[in-house]
Amino acid sequence: MSGALRFLAGLALAALATAAGTRLLPGFPSACDLFLVATVAAARHGRLERALVAGSLAGWAADALAGTPFGLFGFTDAAIGYLTALAARRLVVERPGSLVGLFAAAGLAQGIVLVLLGLFVVPEVVELPGPVAIVLRTATTALLGPAWIRFAAAAGARVRKLLKRPPAGLRPPSSLVS
Amino acid sequence: MLGGQLVLLASQSPDPGGGPRSLLAGGALRLVAPFAQLVAAVGDVFSGFGRAVRGRSSLARENRELRTELLELRRERLRWTGLEREAGELAVALEFARASGLELRAARVVYLDRGSFLRTLVARVGPRGARRDQVVLAESGIVGRVIESSGPWARVQLVTDRAAAVGALLETARRQGIVRGAGPAELELEYVPIQAEVAAGDRVLTAGIDGVYPRGLPIGTVIAVEPGDERFHRIRVRPAVDLADLAVVYLLESASRPPASPREEVATP
Repeated sequence: MSGALRFLAGLALAALATAAGTRLLPGFPSACDLFLVATVAAARHGRLERALVAGSLAGWAADALAGTPFGLFGFTDAAIGYLTALAARRLVVERPGSLVGLFAAAGLAQGIVLVLLGLFVVPEVVELPGPVAIVLRTATTALLGPAWIRFAAAAGARVRKLLKRPPAGLRPPSSLVS
Repeated sequence: MLGGQLVLLASQSPDPGGGPRSLLAGGALRLVAPFAQLVAAVGDVFSGFGRAVRGRSSLARENRELRTELLELRRERLRWTGLEREAGELAVALEFARASGLELRAARVVYLDRGSFLRTLVARVGPRGARRDQVVLAESGIVGRVIESSGPWARVQLVTDRAAAVGALLETARRQGIVRGAGPAELELEYVPIQAEVAAGDRVLTAGIDGVYPRGLPIGTVIAVEPGDERFHRIRVRPAVDLADLAVVYLLESASRPPASPREEVATP
């Protein structure tokens, strides 16, 4: 599966999970931003343009489910994606500890950027995330990020295996396979 | 790209609507809202199933024949739960529309974030779509206004949103003010002078002065009057609508007719 398709599937999953989480738990979006997780997961390979596009798309999807002005998360997630890709070019982020750190930094940076935008770019329009929301989102992003990557890798491997398998009618009979 | 997005974002301040980004916003809403609707539909099925399971456990003391018969009935009921709920909601919608004397159109809520700082509501309004600034109501009062519409989907700014502002009127004191969102389940009525006699329990209605909400629709009830600054009260208001319990909302199609209920008729102060 190509990177773009995998990312779009991730966005769909993030939208489904966010809608389900909000239905089950009021205030779920305060505590968890799966669109940011999808952005960072896509940006950690270090490709700047791809990170920008991924961040924009994920942010716009988040904007569609938020009462904030459209583009708030589009800009924020694109910026976080870009910064993540820059960091990934300079650092090796593969071990679980590094991944947790990367996602935590992204979560914290998102909170800071949102507050700055709320204060200086769209004042009086945006309700700013409180410190508790920022800490919660940072923690959940840090925890969910590595799990998201592991899940994406497993799902990708399974899809590749399914695509490589020949159609049932073309398979040799089991008696001929030693 | 980042610069463009920043300009796009800044260009819509202070009014969160209109402008060049509505194509993007509409596209995003159209793509994401079906996921929310899918979750809402699956959630309805599961909640119906949960109710059926709970019902079944209460039949454990019954004899085997009766239990089997009831099980059949419950299976049957499970099949009808969705239709029954829909018929009930439509009946409520019809009754509400007739009693209020307003021209309304029902819309199903597919996504409701009432607890986080991003609070919003996405509704499926049908193929006719919705207008920007169209008023959204529930049985007990106003819910908010449409800020984005794309195809059959509409995104609604809740009245509890910090950026929302509604021209309001105190029913007994006959004083006007502005109601703003002040938390997930609270509003604040501003600019009511300290000379006005306001008490907890007073009803707050729309004043019809903001060009969006028609006059006389319930906004909420005063829960506390606190000393504000030298000129104005600080009035806390509980919304008339329980946002935790919204499955269907109503789009106000025409505000030409005033509310029929005598309690909701408001004279000019």
